[in-house]
Amino acid sequence: MTARIIGAAGLLAAACVVWSALPLRHGALAAVLLAVAIACALLSLARLALGPTSGEGAAYLNVAQRSALNLADLARQWPWAEGMVVAVLVLEALHRSPPWHTGLLGAALLAYLFASHLAESRARPAVLRPQAPLIAAGLGLLALAAGAAALPSGTGSAAEVLALVAAVAAIAVAGLAIPV
Amino acid sequence: MPVDTARDRAAASGVPGTSQARQARLAWSLSAHAQRLITLALAGLVIAVITRRPEFAGVAAPAVLLLAVRRPARPARIAVTASPSAVKLTESEQAELTVTVTGQGDHSVDLLLHPRYAVVPGTAGGQRDGEPGLSAGTSGLPFQVTRTGRRSLGVLEVTLWDRWRLTEGHATVELPIVDCYPMPAAQQQRVVLSRLPSRLGEHPSRSSGEGLEFTGVREFVPGDRQRRINWPATTRRGRLQLNTFAAERTQNVVIIADASSDVGEPGSTPADLGFRGAAGAARAYLAVRDRVGLIVYQRSVRWVAPGLGPRQYYRIMDLMLLEHARVADPRRDAALTRLPRAALPPGSLILVFSPLLDRRLVETVRDLRERGFSVLIIDVLNAEPAGSNDSVSGLARRVWRMEQDAIRFSLRELGIPLVRWDGRQSLDEPLAPYTRRVMVMRR
Repeated sequence: MTARIIGAAGLLAAACVVWSALPLRHGALAAVLLAVAIACALLSLARLALGPTSGEGAAYLNVAQRSALNLADLARQWPWAEGMVVAVLVLEALHRSPPWHTGLLGAALLAYLFASHLAESRARPAVLRPQAPLIAAGLGLLALAAGAAALPSGTGSAAEVLALVAAVAAIAVAGLAIPV
Repeated sequence: MPVDTARDRAAASGVPGTSQARQARLAWSLSAHAQRLITLALAGLVIAVITRRPEFAGVAAPAVLLLAVRRPARPARIAVTASPSAVKLTESEQAELTVTVTGQGDHSVDLLLHPRYAVVPGTAGGQRDGEPGLSAGTSGLPFQVTRTGRRSLGVLEVTLWDRWRLTEGHATVELPIVDCYPMPAAQQQRVVLSRLPSRLGEHPSRSSGEGLEFTGVREFVPGDRQRRINWPATTRRGRLQLNTFAAERTQNVVIIADASSDVGEPGSTPADLGFRGAAGAARAYLAVRDRVGLIVYQRSVRWVAPGLGPRQYYRIMDLMLLEHARVADPRRDAALTRLPRAALPPGSLILVFSPLLDRRLVETVRDLRERGFSVLIIDVLNAEPAGSNDSVSGLARRVWRMEQDAIRFSLRELGIPLVRWDGRQSLDEPLAPYTRRVMVMRR
């Protein structure tokens, strides 16, 4: 089951990177972002595949085994999935993609994050059942936002309002992380 | 020194199988899943503000919704009870650790076993959310112990998740200790001496008696039992003839397990093989009601005097367990020759499981043979000195092998049978030349 979920996470990560990179854009920043996204995706999958640390001491290992262990620890330590999310979103922002394109990317990113969580915690998809209504509502909002963005804007006031709402939401999200 | 199992067990660190409920303090933190959702939300919203593209705010919307939900009250402590299905196991025997968690409230529980040395988690490796049994707060973690000794099972990591899996509480609980007996080697046939002590048993002896094995016919004398008259022989010879039977006797078997050389691959060292072989031999001889004793040879010598029955088997296993866990005192030297008569009765069959690396044991075996004991050595040496492949190391290894061959040759010259056993095959195969007929030992 876990191997299948890791496979699904890998497919979703690849889809996100490819989706945000197309059409290919020439430029140093885009190339760097693409490289970062690919590296982060690969390392996040390696982290999922490696699982938690075994806790075995490295005292009696040879140099090659110890190096492999250190590399594995490096893959476990850093938040590669977060790096991939940021790189993919910035890459998407560099393109002048249509709103539905960004909307689909958002849905795929969300699916990737859930698949990563399931693979990381070795849990079954059934544990997400309580969250299903919220996820559905969130996807609805995503569709609404993409649809609103696709509408022709006569004035700039709607965009200004959305920017204000987004700024308030950003502050709220940052505040949610602080109490824990 | 004779073994006092109860006293030694009390002196040993830790008590096997204690399963009291333990209070564990939970350390709560934001889960990695929540951190990723926060990253997605922040990145989407920041890009939406900078680029003034509302679809990026939409990308952040599901994450913001999930993060905004109210989280239930978090317990500060939980009670964890962990009890193994058995506190005495045999090597590689499947067992289960039953874990009961209480006080977790509405949170779901995730268990992960971090095993210690020689403990291998079962196929599941830990019971997870969504799997049966966990909702009731009780879960089974399969495991097996792969090497003899008193083993701590390790540490249990308990993770509590809230309903939205955004916060996680961690607690670790030290797991109980279990005793792991050596896996007895397979043995069906037994070595039987030609001279047996006059105790009732199951081995046919040379002297006639009340056994079941027919030995011959002799003339009837007054006082003999009439039901044993051989009528065909009587008819032929014209005088009353009587069937005679072999007396059935028991034998004393003393097993010497040499645990002085713990070299080679952990889990299959000569000491491990010696204990497995000794356990197999003890089981095989006790099954036919022989009196079996054990002497464990390390720096010091400990023994269980020969005895009968299933309880004797567990006395022998307990001694092996204690000796495996014990750190030998280097100041004490082994002295098999000073063993009392109770530990080494005259006329005993002595089975020695040894790699013959300890010179003092070799001398002791020679001494026992010269004193008239029937000694049979099962050679369990399965390792040789490691080293590089240069010519000096190769030469040193060759000299070492020749020394080993010389030791074995000298023992054979003394009339001590010596067989090799690799620990994988049944003990019947190397012992076959001595189990087909009674073993005659010259004095």
